Amino acid sequence: MKKECIAMLLAGGQGSRLHALTDKSAKPIMPFGGKYRIIDFPLSNCANSGIDVVGVLTQYQPLQLNSYISAGQPWDLDLQRGGVYILPPYQSSGAKGEWFSGTANAIYQNIDFIDMWEPEYVLILSGDHIYKMDYSDMLQQHKDKGADCTIAVIRVPIAEASRFGIMDTDENGYICHFSEKPKEPQSDLASMGIYIFTWETLRKYLIADENDPASEKDFGKNIIPSMLAGGERLWPYRFSGYWRDVGTIDSLWDANMDMLSPTLINLYDKSWPIKSRSPIKPPHYIGENAQIRHSIITEGCDVRGCVQSSVLSNSVTVAEGASVSHSVLMPGCVIEMGAVVEYAIIGENARICSGAVVGSAPNGKEGWGIATCGPKVCVGAGQTVEAGAMLYSEKEGK
Amino acid sequence: MIDLHGIVYAYHSYPTLNDLVLKRTSASLPFCSRYRLIDFALSAMTNAGVRDVGVVMQTNYQSLLDHLEGGKDWDLSRGSGGLSLLPPYGLYNSQYGDYKGCMDALAAIMPYLKRVKQNNIVLMRSDLAVNLDLESAFDAHIDSGAEITAICCKKAYDSSRDCIGFLPDDDGFSSHLQFGSKDPAVLQSIEAYIIRKPLLLELVSYCRENGLFHFHRDALAHYLQNGGRIKLFQHSGYCAHICSISDYYGASMDMLTSSLRSELFPEDRPVYTKGRSSVSTYYSENSSVKNSLVADGCYIEGEIENCVIFRGVRVKKDAKLKDCVILQDSVIGENACLSCVISDKNTSFSAGTTLCGSRVLPITVPKGKSI
Repeated sequence: MKKECIAMLLAGGQGSRLHALTDKSAKPIMPFGGKYRIIDFPLSNCANSGIDVVGVLTQYQPLQLNSYISAGQPWDLDLQRGGVYILPPYQSSGAKGEWFSGTANAIYQNIDFIDMWEPEYVLILSGDHIYKMDYSDMLQQHKDKGADCTIAVIRVPIAEASRFGIMDTDENGYICHFSEKPKEPQSDLASMGIYIFTWETLRKYLIADENDPASEKDFGKNIIPSMLAGGERLWPYRFSGYWRDVGTIDSLWDANMDMLSPTLINLYDKSWPIKSRSPIKPPHYIGENAQIRHSIITEGCDVRGCVQSSVLSNSVTVAEGASVSHSVLMPGCVIEMGAVVEYAIIGENARICSGAVVGSAPNGKEGWGIATCGPKVCVGAGQTVEAGAMLYSEKEGK
Repeated sequence: MIDLHGIVYAYHSYPTLNDLVLKRTSASLPFCSRYRLIDFALSAMTNAGVRDVGVVMQTNYQSLLDHLEGGKDWDLSRGSGGLSLLPPYGLYNSQYGDYKGCMDALAAIMPYLKRVKQNNIVLMRSDLAVNLDLESAFDAHIDSGAEITAICCKKAYDSSRDCIGFLPDDDGFSSHLQFGSKDPAVLQSIEAYIIRKPLLLELVSYCRENGLFHFHRDALAHYLQNGGRIKLFQHSGYCAHICSISDYYGASMDMLTSSLRSELFPEDRPVYTKGRSSVSTYYSENSSVKNSLVADGCYIEGEIENCVIFRGVRVKKDAKLKDCVILQDSVIGENACLSCVISDKNTSFSAGTTLCGSRVLPITVPKGKSI
């Protein structure tokens, strides 16, 4: 079946900088902003942009991700002619089974999947960014410019530029230079990790890259530089809206706090809905003595205590006399009576027992940071978890 | 697979629900922040493993169709079977407009009933707020060898009508149907029946041939008169029959009590409803919320106390809501002050409006009204 453009969503990375939070599940499935999982953003963007074939490449801890995406119903991607496809690494005849060894290798191993749709263009996405973007507009620009590759770019503060893939453009507007995480960035034009390639060209470069033993099989480090060297036309697509990488504890916390200010990213906009798979839960209940200030609360919650400047995912319990401020509470976690949670991220189904104290307000001291409790962690009654601490859930099974 | 087929009656609305059923049937009446009443019947069936369900509808069913779509949200969208919507066929003698009674409605869907693959059929109303353990009821039905099992509850769940009940015998069966009985030994029927298919077909034919319409007065009475006995299954949790504004308001306020809420929403029998993509609810710095149920997608800047708030409601700065039920997408303007108000979908109250009902006589604001 022929499609003009299909999307490939890279969702297999570990997200190791999120430590305990991604110990047992992939980063794209991370709860975010109360109602969402990170992957809801690229999936909804695809659906809203009219891209109705999405291959999701999974590798690291994929079980929760697979069941969350399932047939793609929440995003209207459960289709007869297209839809969302989970693409794990697989065995092929003759060769041994092989893990995806890099972002480019993951796409390389799925060349046959892409060829099934005979696309002219392929959109490459990653599952760790929070943003709303109309990919069809980017595709239109790609066609208008006759580009071989279009890279979505955003201006970043020059001080932070060394965290990104940074590029320069020549006098005609083409990208003339690209360096992945440069030590001394020459420009503030950062790659958002969103690419549209003309499939015929990308296919050629993927095969060449696979045969290069020195390559790390990475888009930013290998494919883009060799396309530049090969004289292909690379064009930037300038994006100026809200876009956050949520790859670290601090950036995950920051982006969650952004959700408290609807002026940063408008999620009420009915013309561009971000959709999610909802748990089957009754509405949230706010108790007689509860105090809620500047917070977002999701269905299934039961709040009897005090909640300030915080983001509560579904089914969170905050008992009477408990106090939560400047924190992110993920689905199903329980804050018992008298517990205090400040500047913290509490993972799914974690329990903070009565009288425990987790995290503290910024005090200017060295080592201060967001306190993090991994999924299912239990902080015992009366215990204290210092600011900046990272608690892992107990290992069970593998 | 459970040998049980579901039939949900969604053709009737009580006129005592006034404005709330002006543009919908009782079945699609919004309830408890995010549900429609029919969700409870459909979820009971889905949770019991029933995979084929027919919904009998007759008039005013546009809103019900919008809600049910293909039945996906109740896992009833199937390649074969699943959810069947049964609007009037116009074949049988329903020339009187409304179905005159349940047997009239069943007669109208006779071709459908004949094709039912399962040997047992559960008949259920769509205007109950109840979380039935239909699986246990079905097991009791099969184990007892009964032809009909009536699901009952102990307390009078229905204040506004003469209740239908059964006087139990010692063996868990009954041969005595009672109307409006005040006898404490009588178990109230919640009008959910599990009935063997051949018997149901026989009763429908009997009523049709004799020009009879009513399930209890005609069909069940006939069955009992001929020596039939009815197995009783007792439902112990919450049950409210919503047939008037005051029932609706009372049941809505009941949901603010944790124990009643957990009877209606037990962890192991979730209540499914149509999904709606929306954000979480935001509470501003100056909001104040007490003892309230709030759905997703709301934006709360004012004060709410003892309220049930549906999806997408906006409560602006310094607005005060007390003892209110605010249906989806309504907007309460700045400084507005509402108490004991039921406002239907998409209503809006401009800044400074004051509207006070009483708990006994709440004010209903119809769908789409601006005040």
